Amino acid sequence: MSEFILEMRNISKSFAGVQALKDVSIRCRPGLVYGLVGENGAGKSTLMKILAGAYSADAGEITYKGERRDQASTAEIIASGISIIYQELALVGQMSVAENIFLGREPRHALGILNLPELHARSAVLLKRLGIELDLDLPVSELTIAQQQLVEIAKALSQHADLIVMDEPSAILAGSELDQLFEIIQNLVEQGVTIIYISHRLEEVFRIADEVTVLKDGELVATRPIGELDRATLVEYMVGRPLDEVFPQTEHEQGELVLAAKDLATDTILDGVSLELYAGEILGIAGMVGSGRTELARALFGADPLTGGSIELVDKGASAWGSPAQAIGAGLVLAPEDRKAHGLFTTLSVRINVSIPILSTLTRLGVLKRRAEDQVVREAQERLSIVMSSPDQETQFLSGGNQQKVVLAKWLSTDPAVIILDEPTRGVDVGAKFEIYRLMRQLNDRGIAIVMISSELPEIIGMSDRIMVMNDGRVAGELTRDEAGEARIIELATLGAAEAGQS
Amino acid sequence: MSLAKPYESPVPDRRWKTRKFVADYGVYIALVILLLVGAVLTPKLYSVDTIAVVMRQASQLGIVAIGQTMVLLVAGLDLSVGGIFIMTSVVVAEVGNGRNEMVIPAIATAMALGGLVGLGNGLLVTKRRVPPFVATLGMLVLVKGATQAYTRGVPGGFVPDVLGIVNRSWSFLSVPLILWFGLSAIFIFILRGTSYGRKVYAVGSNIEAARLSGIPVDAIRISVYILGSLFAVVSGVVLTGYVLYVDRFIGSGLDLDSIAAAVVGGTAFVGGRGGLLGTIAGVLIIQILSTMVVLLGLDVEVQFIIKGLVILGAVTLYSVANVES
Repeated sequence: MSEFILEMRNISKSFAGVQALKDVSIRCRPGLVYGLVGENGAGKSTLMKILAGAYSADAGEITYKGERRDQASTAEIIASGISIIYQELALVGQMSVAENIFLGREPRHALGILNLPELHARSAVLLKRLGIELDLDLPVSELTIAQQQLVEIAKALSQHADLIVMDEPSAILAGSELDQLFEIIQNLVEQGVTIIYISHRLEEVFRIADEVTVLKDGELVATRPIGELDRATLVEYMVGRPLDEVFPQTEHEQGELVLAAKDLATDTILDGVSLELYAGEILGIAGMVGSGRTELARALFGADPLTGGSIELVDKGASAWGSPAQAIGAGLVLAPEDRKAHGLFTTLSVRINVSIPILSTLTRLGVLKRRAEDQVVREAQERLSIVMSSPDQETQFLSGGNQQKVVLAKWLSTDPAVIILDEPTRGVDVGAKFEIYRLMRQLNDRGIAIVMISSELPEIIGMSDRIMVMNDGRVAGELTRDEAGEARIIELATLGAAEAGQS
Repeated sequence: MSLAKPYESPVPDRRWKTRKFVADYGVYIALVILLLVGAVLTPKLYSVDTIAVVMRQASQLGIVAIGQTMVLLVAGLDLSVGGIFIMTSVVVAEVGNGRNEMVIPAIATAMALGGLVGLGNGLLVTKRRVPPFVATLGMLVLVKGATQAYTRGVPGGFVPDVLGIVNRSWSFLSVPLILWFGLSAIFIFILRGTSYGRKVYAVGSNIEAARLSGIPVDAIRISVYILGSLFAVVSGVVLTGYVLYVDRFIGSGLDLDSIAAAVVGGTAFVGGRGGLLGTIAGVLIIQILSTMVVLLGLDVEVQFIIKGLVILGAVTLYSVANVES
């Protein structure tokens, strides 16, 4: 048997004339972690779907465990020990942890009756192997996303996976959850499992991968041991050109007070949050998932009702809005965390998406002024460099970065005083990420105040003028850019204000 | 400072263009093919009389399908229209009771009651979060039951003769056809060219994003359910004028056909996609198919089988064209 568990050689694939993969080769030794990086559309997913049997390659060959693999069904591929964990987890919410792990392969008695004790025993063994504790009887819908992901990994192990592909596993995780995932990966690798780890976040690749393969525009750019790479080189490989500065900076004086919120409380989690926001600055909000960051954004926007406290937009004299419509009218907008679920109309065109919040200014007696709308859309496209083939293209066919730009364009069309960006670069490729950073600085220059919520600490530290750290629905602390370091932020986010102060 | 040129390779156009082509024109291509098949199999389809019949029946279906399409666009469904046809027939006969001068009050009463049904549907779906299928099914049973209770099973009253005006025609052109095309034109414009239309699509495409964009989502959905019921009343009036007596089974089958016509025409069950141009073609396809079955001398059951196949075929086609990456 060869030293490689998997070899994919000279794989090519095109869809209706578009070359998605061109002569790409990768090979994996058992028990190592392989990072697979590249922008959206670089071909990572296509390559993995070919591995999973969802697509067949036009050319090239796959050798797995020393045997040449011809076209195989998904079931055969899973049986051969390859598991793929997609971003959209494939679990049945109402069923228990144990039932999900063995879904479709439940241990049975002779008559086909479910063997519950056996199911439990085998599930428990798997979770122990992963080194995690979960209530096996709990419906999966009761678990956090991070825990659900662990169930997926357990499911992969139950299928005797020797090779596990994780497609952007960290996109849905934050801080400590990620550490746990990495521990588990380490654990698996020690047991001889091979991991292919797809990610946008370079920090993670540096933390976890032994070797990194970079794809760009369907072609292999480089495969290097991680030790031979640094961040700048990797970014250069992905983007195809050097990036002098990751986070663009501008020097500016503190502006006027724009927004003042006092003692905000909601029946979700917020418990006495106060903040002030000044013109032309970026206030970064850090904290774990579930610390109340998103709830704060929604409360400021009027999307969730306040049970206490006050919000005031100072120069507009507006206060106490009870709905997003009123907040938008007052000059405060929110680009939500879950772009597809809450921000974008995926079945509708770029045009409709961009003009939706300003329809009243684009209509006379309810009838659209087409020319005025065209103008708004064209300006938005130019300002944000949205890559689209026509304003009538449905947004579902745009890349993640361009979708985010459409959401931003929509809100910029309202000419806001305050923009709240909840995870503005999640699921966005590196190139578009930097464009979004530059755009944020441009907005600052025009006096717009930005609240940026992010789980990515380098982004928070690199972009924010001030950083507010949240913990359990409260403000755990506020740091200036100079005071902020990853360690200090994590300390505040995990321990809260009081305990962090004592330590 | 200006933004750098994007690094991404250009978006492959082919997929969305194919989809858009199928969505915009697929149903019309199907209609043309059907007409060609008809020319071979059932040449009688092209006689003046047959065309007039097809168009009249298409108009009855087409008017209610306008409302149904709008309800589907907001990710809803209106099963209660069948009850509204019957209620309209009974109200027109009871209030009109054979007096021509009472025809306007009679229609107005039917409109008002229909509007209330739509309001009920809308409130159940928005404020009580009842799934549209269940809410409008319940409303269907309620309206039918109330109508029967009122008439004690034996509808009374007489339809005013003047309502026969809906049977007036000038070769292919008839009053129902003018109503259908006129209303379609108005609502095509409303859906495409007004802020209300945009909001309808937005609510259907992504209700949470619509809410977070400042759109009054509940008001939009309630208004669409009311419109759906009002269109059913108009269809009911046309049907009543056609038969000129009270019919407890009036318009039976049109309720589900209106959904079928919209779906065949490319309006998505999940909302936010499709429109009235497609529905017009969908209505024609369903009506022509039914007529061809009759002209071929096949059993009526065959109609249902063919209708079923056409709906399944259309839905399959759209779903294939719609596969996301």
